[in-house]
Amino acid sequence: MAIVKTEKTPAREAPLSETTIIGWMSKNLFGSVFNSILTVVTLYIIYLTVRDVWVWGVADAVWVADNRRECFKISIDGACWAGVITWMDNIFYGRYPREELWRINLGAILLFVWMVPLWLPRVKAKVLIGVTTVFLYPFLAGYLFAGGDKGIFMQVMISAAIVCLIGNTLHSIIGVLTGSSLPEFLIRLLGRQDAPEKSQHKILFGILAVSLVVVYLWQMGWHAEGVSWTKWGGLFLTLVISGIGIASALPGGIILALGRRSRLPVIRVLSTAFIELFRSVPLITVLFMATTMFPLFMPEGVVLNKLVQVIIAVCLFNACYMAETVRAGLQAIPKGQAEGAHTIGLGYWGTMGLIIMPQALKHMIPNIVGSFIGLLKDTTLVSIIGLFDILGMLRSISRDTPWLGLHKEPLIFGAILFFLICFAMSKYSRHLEVKLSTGHKK
Amino acid sequence: MTDTNTQEPQQAMEQLASAISSEVIIDLNQVNKWYADFHVLKDIDLIVHKGERIVVCGPSGSGKSTLIRCINHLEEHQAGSIVVDGITLDKNLKNIDHIRTEVGMVFQSSNLFPHLSILENLTLGPIWVRKMPKAEAEATARKYLERVKIPEQADKYPGQLSGGQQQRVAIARSLCMNPKIMLFDEPTSALDPEMIKEVLDVMIELADTGMTMIVVTHEMNFAKTIADRVIFMDEGDIVEENEPNEFFNNPQHERTRLFLSQIL
Ligand SMILES: Nc1ncnc2c1ncn2[C@@H]1O[C@H](COP(=O)(O)OP(=O)(O)OP(=O)(O)O)[C@@H](O)[C@H]1O
Ligand SMILES: [Mg+2]
Repeated sequence: MAIVKTEKTPAREAPLSETTIIGWMSKNLFGSVFNSILTVVTLYIIYLTVRDVWVWGVADAVWVADNRRECFKISIDGACWAGVITWMDNIFYGRYPREELWRINLGAILLFVWMVPLWLPRVKAKVLIGVTTVFLYPFLAGYLFAGGDKGIFMQVMISAAIVCLIGNTLHSIIGVLTGSSLPEFLIRLLGRQDAPEKSQHKILFGILAVSLVVVYLWQMGWHAEGVSWTKWGGLFLTLVISGIGIASALPGGIILALGRRSRLPVIRVLSTAFIELFRSVPLITVLFMATTMFPLFMPEGVVLNKLVQVIIAVCLFNACYMAETVRAGLQAIPKGQAEGAHTIGLGYWGTMGLIIMPQALKHMIPNIVGSFIGLLKDTTLVSIIGLFDILGMLRSISRDTPWLGLHKEPLIFGAILFFLICFAMSKYSRHLEVKLSTGHKK
Repeated sequence: MTDTNTQEPQQAMEQLASAISSEVIIDLNQVNKWYADFHVLKDIDLIVHKGERIVVCGPSGSGKSTLIRCINHLEEHQAGSIVVDGITLDKNLKNIDHIRTEVGMVFQSSNLFPHLSILENLTLGPIWVRKMPKAEAEATARKYLERVKIPEQADKYPGQLSGGQQQRVAIARSLCMNPKIMLFDEPTSALDPEMIKEVLDVMIELADTGMTMIVVTHEMNFAKTIADRVIFMDEGDIVEENEPNEFFNNPQHERTRLFLSQIL
């Protein structure tokens, strides 16, 4: 006998446990007796911890005092934040001359201005902006921070960076307002949009050249006083080292990974050896080696300063780690993608740059950001070889006569700082991942 | 091998003769290929004329894919010579890149680029390889999307299309490069039955335009419709080569008979 349903089953409301907070809680937190006990105990432990931390760190804490003894006098078992606060400038900037601090701040602001377009919708050519950030900004910032005499090369790079920064900013303002790019806007401004592509390119190139020359002439009269690297320190130094490490790790890693997959045996063996060498040695060893061994390789008379040696070591070390991340990403791309690219005539570089790498990088974002976070934290190792990065600064508070023995508070403050930075990075990576994966997935 | 004459109506023969020019566009001479020590292609001789449509069939693992992948050098052959459009395929990378712009290929899985929209998939080759201005490339792309009957999908991403639509986009992507030869490696074997027809229809239309085509397929009705010649491969040999009616109705080699009895 056939069974035929004559009426539609109407949709009913979901049970309370699926829709309300109280429903969720009674299902997940108080579902059984054991579950309820666990919940109550956990809540109690959390309460105790938070209360103690609150009393020590906020309620009983001392914020203003001249030295540690005074802290104790005011409150014997509260935190002595006064020490950290007095040292705040040192923690952030090291011993950088106080009247020159604006240069560091300006550098930070410029970086921000440079990167803002990456977050704005409607702005085109984001990849190009990202690449200029990596390759031009460091020169501008480097001179801003170090100052001193500019060689011809530095002058050219600084001019290029400034032109690029201005172009970037105009480009993004125009992009947000009109949705078109700077070149398109310029061409329209000049009323040449009907001219053939070739002559449009010529015009744009001309504008670029003229602005380069103008900026070059202008920057010649601009001079920043030299600040020795020995004065660099604190969070600033940490960010400089890890920033350069981060900026160079990805390009370096890509080159090494491609080398390792190369068909040419010499390149493959060299890349593999290089990668494996650096990956099998701890960073701290690499740092020690760098400060003692690089000088041996240098031609006579060339004296590298310790900071440069450390930065080179950090860059190489991280490029090698990144190379393996990149290689894993490349391997995840099906072979058919390269074949598809070959069949439309793309050669090796076209296939890599347009098809394989963009997909691989997208997959790798969590890993890449993960290693960036690791890099930032690992940078604190430089305090062991005598650089006063943020960790070095925090620890020297306890050796400062008025604050002798003040260990806990500075380190906790450092932990909070690191947490904020790293957490922001990982959140941002999540966001990037979600944003980039929309569109081509179902 | 048998000659392509006997009881065939005179008319059809004339039609064939007019579509195919005498110009040789692909010339394989004693081609051999090994994967490590496994001999995949054995002394392959094959001459394809301009405008000819060739269907390749044979049991799994017989070397069909390898054969057509050698023609655009996705696989390297170790002995013999392959001349495509007058250019000998050797170690010269320039030659290989050039050949690949002249030879389009569609795979079993469409191999579209998932990070690019359909339109970008189609314009990538013309813009980067042929150095075509963007506007022109987009116009061409839309024209071919029209031809494969999915103009409305231009701004979607490959992941949002059905398998049959993806294959048609893949065909259009190859056509955008304006190739002289199209290679197909089982373009419909991963598709559901209702999608097979839409892809085959596009291929039949393409055949009508006079494109030189080499198609690896087990769609025998399709082979009968478009093929000028059917090639049967087994264990790296071209075992039998004939025009389609003869091939299907009167197979000569026993291995061909066995194969046809299994798939028909
Ligand atoms: N990269 C490779 N390395 C080693 N052996 C391979 C490789 N590719 C294919 N082969 C082998 O070569 C033989 C021919 O493969 P090919 O893909 O050309 O067969 P086919 O005729 O296309 O089969 P199918 O109908 O299953 O696609 C098979 O035995 C296969 O196992
Ligand atoms: Mg095959």
